[in-house]
Amino acid sequence: MNVRPLRIDDLLGMQACNLQNLPENYTMKYYLYHAMTWPSLSYVAEDNKGRIVGYILAKMEEDKAENEEPHGHVTSISVLRSYRRLGLAKKLMVQSQQAMANIYGASYVSLHVRKSNRAALGLYRDSLGFTVKDIEKRYYADGEDAYAMHLLLKSNI
Amino acid sequence: MFKVVGIPAKRALPSKEASLFKELLTLYETRQLKKGQKTADQILKKFPEHGETLCMKGLVLTHMGKREEGIDLVKKGMRFDLTSHICWHVFGLIQKGEKNYEEALKSYTQALRFDKDNLNILRDAAQLQTQLRLYDGLVETRHTLLKLRPTLRQHWIALAVAHHLNGNLTEARKTLEHYERMLKNVPDYDVENSETLLYHIQLLVEMGEFTDALSILDVSAKSRAIVDRTAIMETRAHLLTKLGSEEAEDAWRVLVEHNPDCYDYYRGYLSNRGISLGTPSTDALTILRDFSTQIPRAMAPRRMALSIATRDDFRELVKPYIIAGLTKGVPSLFADIKALYRDDSKRKTVEEIVEAAMKDFSPDSSTPSSSSAEVEPTTYLWTLYFLAQHYSYLSQPDRALSILDLALSHTPTLPELHTCKARTLKRAGDLFGAARCLDEARLLDGQDRFLNTKAAKYLLRAGMNDEASGIFGLFTKKEAASPGADLEDMQSMLYLIEEADSQYRNGKLNLALKRYINITKIFSEIEDDQYDFHGYNLRKFTINIYTKLLKWEDKLRSHPAYIHAALSASRIYVAVHDDPSIATASSLSTNLTEAEKKAKKKAKKAAQKVQEDNKKTNEDKGLDVPTPKDEDPEGLKLLGVSDPLEQASKLLAPLRTLAPKNIDVWISLYDVSIRRKKLLQAVKALNHAKSLDRDHPELHVRLIDLRQRASALPQTPPPPIGSLFTESLANLLPEEVSLETYNSQYLQRHSDSASALLAVAKAAQLLKAPADEVEATIFATLGNSVNLTIKMASTMIRFLSTIKSPRLEEFQAACDAKYPLSTMFKPAAEQTLLSKQVLSRPAEANKVEDTT
Repeated sequence: MNVRPLRIDDLLGMQACNLQNLPENYTMKYYLYHAMTWPSLSYVAEDNKGRIVGYILAKMEEDKAENEEPHGHVTSISVLRSYRRLGLAKKLMVQSQQAMANIYGASYVSLHVRKSNRAALGLYRDSLGFTVKDIEKRYYADGEDAYAMHLLLKSNI
Repeated sequence: MFKVVGIPAKRALPSKEASLFKELLTLYETRQLKKGQKTADQILKKFPEHGETLCMKGLVLTHMGKREEGIDLVKKGMRFDLTSHICWHVFGLIQKGEKNYEEALKSYTQALRFDKDNLNILRDAAQLQTQLRLYDGLVETRHTLLKLRPTLRQHWIALAVAHHLNGNLTEARKTLEHYERMLKNVPDYDVENSETLLYHIQLLVEMGEFTDALSILDVSAKSRAIVDRTAIMETRAHLLTKLGSEEAEDAWRVLVEHNPDCYDYYRGYLSNRGISLGTPSTDALTILRDFSTQIPRAMAPRRMALSIATRDDFRELVKPYIIAGLTKGVPSLFADIKALYRDDSKRKTVEEIVEAAMKDFSPDSSTPSSSSAEVEPTTYLWTLYFLAQHYSYLSQPDRALSILDLALSHTPTLPELHTCKARTLKRAGDLFGAARCLDEARLLDGQDRFLNTKAAKYLLRAGMNDEASGIFGLFTKKEAASPGADLEDMQSMLYLIEEADSQYRNGKLNLALKRYINITKIFSEIEDDQYDFHGYNLRKFTINIYTKLLKWEDKLRSHPAYIHAALSASRIYVAVHDDPSIATASSLSTNLTEAEKKAKKKAKKAAQKVQEDNKKTNEDKGLDVPTPKDEDPEGLKLLGVSDPLEQASKLLAPLRTLAPKNIDVWISLYDVSIRRKKLLQAVKALNHAKSLDRDHPELHVRLIDLRQRASALPQTPPPPIGSLFTESLANLLPEEVSLETYNSQYLQRHSDSASALLAVAKAAQLLKAPADEVEATIFATLGNSVNLTIKMASTMIRFLSTIKSPRLEEFQAACDAKYPLSTMFKPAAEQTLLSKQVLSRPAEANKVEDTT
């Protein structure tokens, strides 16, 4: 699969991939907001027909204290079930993290995961090296708690 | 945001009220709406005809959700004071909230007549001009803004962008260079400056100034003024290639090493060496093999090599690729490999390899190969999975199903096996069996939305819309009026298209039309979405992505979902135009199912809640028109609209330029134009269609339709249209040939094509041929020389049903015999029975659901 930086005409495919695969969904405006603010942080994986089969939608944290170091945040990452076991999530994550560190000097990257989502938790912790930093009570609209997870980025490359 | 200027007599207020008015402006800007309202009332008590106050109060009320009352006040205020920039500005804001950009810009232009240097009004006007693509005016507005505030950095960038959009790249460049010269004290690692430089370089690339672009890139990369390393590397590689530099090869290699999974970088490397991937090339193969050796974890060069390798090279490369995938259990292996099947010899090679692997990996293999001792049982399973997909794809459902039975007896709990079986059955026409298998897959992993979406989609394919809604509902928001409403809010094209198509097949044209129109509305939403970014990106200095956004928005409706929705909706509109009784029949037959009733009740409740929420007033609701309550959830008003052809015409209009290669677009444009009596548009559409495919079946039908309609015209159209029309008509279909002859000539040329036979039957029907002749043409598609797909067979049945043929059941029975697996040609009663079995399963299967 082709793993490359996000292009503007990927956004509809990215949204479709998200809707088919994950319970947290967003309207196009939110995808646009990410692309327009941090154009180099998001990546996609496409199949040989150009269909988006995986993506990472990422941003820099905006609500941070003044003396806090900048850090990145993964809004959404997903790989279609039929394209698993190719290591795509990791490849997408690595590219995005490099960009966070390199462009914005991010020192770490954060993400949220539903407490009940064991499969995702396993991916973030075991394959991608994230650790649980905190539990955010009732983070999701339906009242479920979220694990706040972190991964330190090595250095500003 | 408003300031007080000028003092015509009727506007002047005594000092107490004047300061109250200033306060009102501040309260509005800080969105203290209730206080704002009170302050306005205080002024109005003494001066009830003060236009600006009335407008401001109207604006405040609109923000509070009291839209109608608010707008009435604004209009009243306008009447009292037509020369106030505040009144016009308020009016413009309201119109902008209604997405009426043209009118809003007119109001802003008025406002500027009375306060030409107002920064806020100028800025809003610039956004409107960009939204409307009025770039001449935009340049002017940006110029004014720059003159008023030359120290604001974004004003310089904004002017450069305006010149750029207006096609004046030289001025854009000058503006940027001027800006860069006056920049002082840029902090290190400044992202805004980095983005600006990348924009500058992109501008130079578009001007063809590659050397200048490269020098700015290299200097800024070295000084770390540009911080985006991927962008530097990509831009550099492209520029060096364009300049024919020796360094280009190395630049591409650096990119490959940076991200070895990106195909573009290999393509760039190869194309720099003069190699295109379209043709087999030993050089390319050597290069890709070298990359595979150097970067063992990279899959891209291995996969690319498979596309260009032939014969022995191919066999040698594909075998380890496939075996590795099977051993690892990569579910997408077949989807990945099947693209190679365009080359029949490659398909055969793959089949041989995987068939041999199956024997090799089989647990009861009599000749254990050297490696089989280490073979995991799952490898055998994935091999069976691959082969099943292979035979299913090659339309050998029996072989596929027997392999799947073997695999399922081996491991009944792998969802992929069930989805594969479902797909095989779906291809063979067993839509109910397919839906049942996918539901079994779904039950094996209830947390997986991918399986859930697929299961619901298969139910829609089987025409089981209520059941599908229930399945979708397991993942949609509980507070939504219905699962479909949530999916629509989230802009799910997949859901809307599948639901619409399903309703269309079910004959519920009102519901189908409703969904198709929903899809086209999403595209309008996305078009509106860009508005805020006309200001936002300039403040963020992210210009390259912004100019791409504008180009993307301009061709947004070339997306397949829009094309499909617009064409389908247009067909429905044409059908109701031809036979308005369709609309009345729909409204009579709308018997709600239980699920629909439930959804309706829930929707009503949700709407009530919104209204109650609106009563709590201090909250800012913004100026955008809120989504009104859906007064027509069944799409009955939509279907019964008084001007269906105009509606269709509007939907199709963008496709003239955005999908000019799509023959269906021109056919639909013809259907609409000819009925709107737009004769020249109609013949032009057919000329376009003819240039794309002169023998297209639907074109054949339209040519005959056109001639018939032309001869039925009461008189020749007036000049100059008349002669042009007659001439085009003669060019499309020679006058000397009778239509009957023309139709039989077409039949002779294409007697082995199902779609052509259907076209001949349709044409014969238009020509009022005897019914048995029309039917015989359709029955000819059952002949051995014709490749009649299941989908085409259903189309034939729909046609027989529209002409009310007594031989309908006979044809259906013949299809049923021809496609033994298919359920689509079973009698209705049997289909109902089959549908009931889809979601009912033995108690044992339900237990699985409980444990997930």
